[in-house]
Amino acid sequence: MTTERQQRSFIDPIVLAQLAALPLVARKSMLGNVSGRHSSPHRGASVEFAEYRKYVPGDDLRRLDWRTYGRSDRFYVKEFEADTNLRMVLVVDTSGSMSMPSIGGTKLQYAQRVAAALAYIAIGQGDAVGMSCVAKGIVQQIPPRRSPAHLSTIFDQLEIAKSQGETGLPEVLHELAETVRQRALVVILSDLFVEPAILRDCFEHLRFRKHDVAAFHLLDPEEVQFNFQRPTRFIDLEGGPALFADPVEIADRYLTAIKTYLADLRQVTLETGVDYRRVLLDQPYDKTTRDFLVDRAHQRRSR
Amino acid sequence: MSFLQPLLLWALPLIGLPILIHLINQWRYQTKQWAAMMFLLQANRMNRGFARIRQWLILAMRTLAVAGLIFAISRPLASGFMSMIGGGKSDTTIVLMDRSPSMSWQGDAGESKIAAGKRQLGEALKTLGSEHWVSIDSASSEPTEFKTLDAMIDSTAFTSSSSTARVTSGMQRALEYLQLNKPGAADIWICSDLQASDWNADSGEWNVVRTGFTSLPQSVRFHLLAYPDFANENLSIRVTDAHRDTVVDGVQSQNFLVLSLQVFSSTNNAQSGRRVPLQLEIEGVRSEISVELNGGAAELREYRIPLPPKIESGWGKVSLPADINNSDNDFYFVFDKPPVRRVVVVADDPTTVRPLQIAARIAADGSSNKSQIELFTPAQLNSLQLDGSALLIWQADLPDPTTAAGIDNYVATGGQVVFFPPSKLLNGVSGEKRSYRGIEWTSWLDHEQSPVMVTAWRSDQDLLAATKSGGGLPLGQLEIRGHATIRSEQPLVQLATLDGGDNLLARLPTNSGGLYFCTASTEGKQSSLAENGIVLFVVVQRAIEQGQTALRGSLMRTAAFETPRLEKSLDAPSDKPAEKSERTAREASTWLQVAGPDVVSAEFDCHAGVYRFNDLLFAVNRPLTEDQYTVVGEEKLESLFAGLQMDRVDQKAGRLGGIVREIWRQFLILMAAALILEAALCLPKKRP
Repeated sequence: MTTERQQRSFIDPIVLAQLAALPLVARKSMLGNVSGRHSSPHRGASVEFAEYRKYVPGDDLRRLDWRTYGRSDRFYVKEFEADTNLRMVLVVDTSGSMSMPSIGGTKLQYAQRVAAALAYIAIGQGDAVGMSCVAKGIVQQIPPRRSPAHLSTIFDQLEIAKSQGETGLPEVLHELAETVRQRALVVILSDLFVEPAILRDCFEHLRFRKHDVAAFHLLDPEEVQFNFQRPTRFIDLEGGPALFADPVEIADRYLTAIKTYLADLRQVTLETGVDYRRVLLDQPYDKTTRDFLVDRAHQRRSR
Repeated sequence: MSFLQPLLLWALPLIGLPILIHLINQWRYQTKQWAAMMFLLQANRMNRGFARIRQWLILAMRTLAVAGLIFAISRPLASGFMSMIGGGKSDTTIVLMDRSPSMSWQGDAGESKIAAGKRQLGEALKTLGSEHWVSIDSASSEPTEFKTLDAMIDSTAFTSSSSTARVTSGMQRALEYLQLNKPGAADIWICSDLQASDWNADSGEWNVVRTGFTSLPQSVRFHLLAYPDFANENLSIRVTDAHRDTVVDGVQSQNFLVLSLQVFSSTNNAQSGRRVPLQLEIEGVRSEISVELNGGAAELREYRIPLPPKIESGWGKVSLPADINNSDNDFYFVFDKPPVRRVVVVADDPTTVRPLQIAARIAADGSSNKSQIELFTPAQLNSLQLDGSALLIWQADLPDPTTAAGIDNYVATGGQVVFFPPSKLLNGVSGEKRSYRGIEWTSWLDHEQSPVMVTAWRSDQDLLAATKSGGGLPLGQLEIRGHATIRSEQPLVQLATLDGGDNLLARLPTNSGGLYFCTASTEGKQSSLAENGIVLFVVVQRAIEQGQTALRGSLMRTAAFETPRLEKSLDAPSDKPAEKSERTAREASTWLQVAGPDVVSAEFDCHAGVYRFNDLLFAVNRPLTEDQYTVVGEEKLESLFAGLQMDRVDQKAGRLGGIVREIWRQFLILMAAALILEAALCLPKKRP
């Protein structure tokens, strides 16, 4: 198995070893199948105090808090949060636009690395990991499982993933919102070149289903800076008509458009509670992943 | 627009360079696989419109900048001489500057036409440059080569004179110069006020000149710098007669200077009744009189000015106040005692001309100043001396060629000749028929039975004009009992016509002097000319008076480079103009200037003044034609240069601008402006 891991282009064992020390934490209560590291909406027997509740006949007398009775002469039951595992669904965009070459590889390769790292960490801490590859529709779907052997399946699917076709991300997100069981961690790895208003509906749908949604917005630095000088023939990676333009002429309007789009998208993610992370591809993926994990760990601690 | 370096205009296709670079740049596009097409399409949709105009503007500015640079280094000229494009620097530049008095006409700024022409021509030629500089003196028509432009501009050929400009002759000499020296491309600059008398546009010489220039192998371009404006009022003065008269009162006699003069206004709308002051200067003594201007002219006739007793001859000058043309404000004259009334009669039958002798001997005013009659027979013609004679009466066979040449010279100096039919024609003797100037006596017609009457005569001018009181001569009372018929190759001016249409008195038109032919004889049997007497007397006396005037006129010369010779030894005609002019120049340089402006002695004959040569005092003045401000019409001028490359620029004296001005700076400014604008258009937009 060690030999197989070394052969995958998107896996760097050193990076994985560094990241393995960090926990993957959900921002919301998760509904898992087994006990795990994440809070559950149900009360359980963890050491994490949840609340006091009036005693009702039938309650286990061992849970009565006698100190409270001594102070208030009333019976209260002390409840603790339940710990459970989470189900993480990786939504990897494999549309044509993800094949845009950039520093160190394509967007898809970047997404593969991040997805692999997250899957590795999640499986490592006993969480279930599933994956959906998205183009016009769902190209490949792996249901969440928590066995270590499942990691290999995920890696296999990541490896064979190829970017092609148009983007059907909004439809797929709606579909996943309905099909994935409630309270899952949905991690989207995409360039999100969809109208923010359409994405708002998707994100609200996911939130309605109580999913914890995280979005890695993968952008090439050239897409944001648009520093071309010579006349350029832009070829649509999703098969649309090519466009010949003088970048000097259209730079200002292009930048205005993308800036508006990014601002709108940020607004949408803020309003829908999406853990939005804009990622420029010149940024190392391990840092991106680490920041994601660390921020979530901090959020958990502060809560 | 014209250019000093027109060859550089071949680089003009380089203005397409920016377009070519643009196209190459477009062709060298890069291909980029792109994901964010939605923003690109959005930006591209918004780009249409102004951005496209901006792109075209940038290209236009770059093209303009290159064009501006090419035009600037081609050294463009701002001038009206459009056809200089393609010419470049000429090998030889010939300048014909009109030096006539009319060129002293001043413009608004007080600058004369000749000064303006000199300045503007100097600036233009300095800009244009040339390998050789040649000036043709408009007075002498002599070409002179100069090493530098400045030397040419400072030469006397660019100074005002009193003589008429002989443009035709100057053109002829320019043609001869080009034919002789065979230079490369030549430019001929003519600076003139287009005064008709200077150009002599009706002369047949223009055809010769035009043909000559057309047939030249090298390129010759004419540039006419014209100053045809004669709009403002100018007064000119001219002395028509000045002679000394002596009045004897008892034992005492008093000398008078009898002066006749005319003042003309150049405009017809001159204020009538305006008095014009005249300054008279006689032998250095000045006085002032005034004349009244009516209808644009004033005339003073036989104004008598007392002279000191000892002065028998002398000089004088009349001057007008300064006006727009000062060259016609002075007129010099000399006066002397009246010449002897000498009449030469050549007759084959002295009795026939007896009435003529009687009519000639008596003075017209009844004074004792009788004429001196000299009678010659055809056999004595060898001793015929016509110098100083007022009239030649010829009643014999028409002169042989030798004698005819002498008579021609006599007529050329203003002499008067009246021919009568020879006796042998009257007597019906046939013999050799001679002709003079294409005229010959053909036959004699007798009308003894029914005399022929005079049916028509010219009473308005010439010998048969009405008297000053208006009364006509009694020609209708004449009876002609026989008359000769004449045949002429040239049309004759009929002064008196007989019943039947034959001439009684006719005149052959000549440039000077008078040649009259009377077909009737003065013999009593043949006509009543002697019986009547009045007509014959008046005709003879008027002819004598005209001759006397011409004799006095020899003291009043017209300024011209080839002034009539003063010595016979110099009179020999020469076929070589250069020798002729040189000789005349030497002759003029021996003159002694008595009065007049400071000019070089070699040009005395071209400048107004009083001069002395071999004890002969004479005055030189501008020609009469210089007081007539008629200009050559535009169409006429075009016809003169038909078939030749000619550019014309009309200027006004006093206008400060040059005729040729380099404007490369403006093109550089244009280029800089285009580059700045291009840079502004190319500035990267502020990135959001």
